[in-house]
Amino acid sequence: MKRQQIKFVFLLPAVIWVLAFTIFPLAYAIRLSFFSYHLGRGETFVGGRNFVQAFTYPRFWGSIRITFSIVLIAVVLEIVLGLLFAWHFNREMRGDKVFRALITLPLFATPVAVGYLGITLFYETSGPINMFLSFFHIHIPWLSHPFWAKISIILLDTWIWTPFCFLVFLSGFRAISEEIYEAAYLDTNSELQIFRYISLPLLLPILGIVIALRLVEGLKIFDLPYTLLLGGPGTSTEVYPLLVYRTALKNFDFGSASALSLVLLGIVMSIVIIFFKQLRRVYE
Amino acid sequence: MRKLTSLQKSRHHLTTAIILVIFCFPLYWAIINSIKMPLETFAGSWVPFLQFKPTLVNWAKELGDQSTRRALANSTIVSLCSTGIVLFIGTLAAFSLAVFKFEKLKNQDIIIWFLSQRVMPPVIFIVPFFLLMRSFKLIDSLYALILVNVTFVLPFAVIIMREIFRGIPQELTDAALVDGASYWQIFRKVALPLATGGLVATGIICLAIVWNEFIFALSLSYDRAVVMPVVIAGSEHTRGVEFWYVGVRVLLTMSLPVVVALFAQRYIVKGLTLGAVKG
Repeated sequence: MKRQQIKFVFLLPAVIWVLAFTIFPLAYAIRLSFFSYHLGRGETFVGGRNFVQAFTYPRFWGSIRITFSIVLIAVVLEIVLGLLFAWHFNREMRGDKVFRALITLPLFATPVAVGYLGITLFYETSGPINMFLSFFHIHIPWLSHPFWAKISIILLDTWIWTPFCFLVFLSGFRAISEEIYEAAYLDTNSELQIFRYISLPLLLPILGIVIALRLVEGLKIFDLPYTLLLGGPGTSTEVYPLLVYRTALKNFDFGSASALSLVLLGIVMSIVIIFFKQLRRVYE
Repeated sequence: MRKLTSLQKSRHHLTTAIILVIFCFPLYWAIINSIKMPLETFAGSWVPFLQFKPTLVNWAKELGDQSTRRALANSTIVSLCSTGIVLFIGTLAAFSLAVFKFEKLKNQDIIIWFLSQRVMPPVIFIVPFFLLMRSFKLIDSLYALILVNVTFVLPFAVIIMREIFRGIPQELTDAALVDGASYWQIFRKVALPLATGGLVATGIICLAIVWNEFIFALSLSYDRAVVMPVVIAGSEHTRGVEFWYVGVRVLLTMSLPVVVALFAQRYIVKGLTLGAVKG
């Protein structure tokens, strides 16, 4: 049918816009990664040296380790808490609607602002968290110790993203039909068994999507470490995107930064490919 | 679900309360700090009126500040323009993907391609964007920020809006076709009115994403085009961490997306999982 040709008119503006502003920059980044290019000095072809340099650079491996430990622990925490909250709020109770709305607020809070809020919350001498802990005679060096600095970032990330997991799991629980539960309650009285053998298996596909999305989104982490401690103390919270940013716009070493970017792209793509089959089924 | 005993009920409410207190505390702390005098922020007092006298001095000072006001204006302009463009181009594409069948590249593949854009870490684009914008003399301009934001939010809008358009029964579009309506008319007169709720929600989520965007704003602007997140991030380096201003700025920056989120509750799940989960 000829009239259907209009479908291209509708679709193309979006496709062209996104294509133009992602493919060209990406191609440019790929080209740059084979050059040594500093601002003010010209560019010289260096072949694969930027990549070799990246892989032999101690801060590269350090930031990979830091990023993955922060992201993995945060994602696990978010998913476990999200599941628990969803299970808890799965029952219709009066007033829960309001509570649910309140719990989702962190999700929309500006991450940069959360980072700064974090500085005041984790403030070591008279911050609210340490004041609370001082009742139990505990003092935690949240922001000055490399280990606790990571924990601080994980906690803030969890604060932002648990509501997301919670909302998704809740809608997953709600989609399970009432009859299945009724049948199950004939056999057992244990909530734990119902959760383990009914809810959890039925939630599995959604769980897969959430894990994939959170891992991929997690690797974008930049705002929190940047604002909370600028990667410090030392380089103990220098996550990978922060390393790229610094190489690019603090050292103006665009060649190396491009090589680092492409390595990150490779990591993200391999995660996506692992989950690709599942995603494709969802979007058919 | 079974009926609960009253003991179980009160346990339920107690758990709810604990969760709420923990999750809302950081916001409470920001509010408290913003109405404290500078010295009191370090004293660590918890309750206004009892432990300290609340004051609006910080708010007045911060709102009177020229650079804060300009950043607020910039943030508003960038968010609104980006969202407008995204909604216009995005709904057209989404409608096209929901209603028509593409042959050479299947609809599914186009969607996956859009999805893969959303997955890319923005940091890999800062070098090429910085250099490109520099050669076009667009560093520190709102145009650059709008352009970049549209690029990265557009795929998201297309995916959600397609889900929403797919909810419109095909009989409706077929009936309109029989009546001699063109596809443009179907889009305007049938699809859009039915999708208004979803459109508004998508717009709200896009607005919040653009408003919160940081890494491009940080790398592409330094003075005239600075937006709120960059202002917050810069405060430490010039004046040290001033807790009382942090409270105000944090609230100023967060309030728009957070308030907006309260209105979009219904669509958030669908939106944030890119339509993969029915909300």
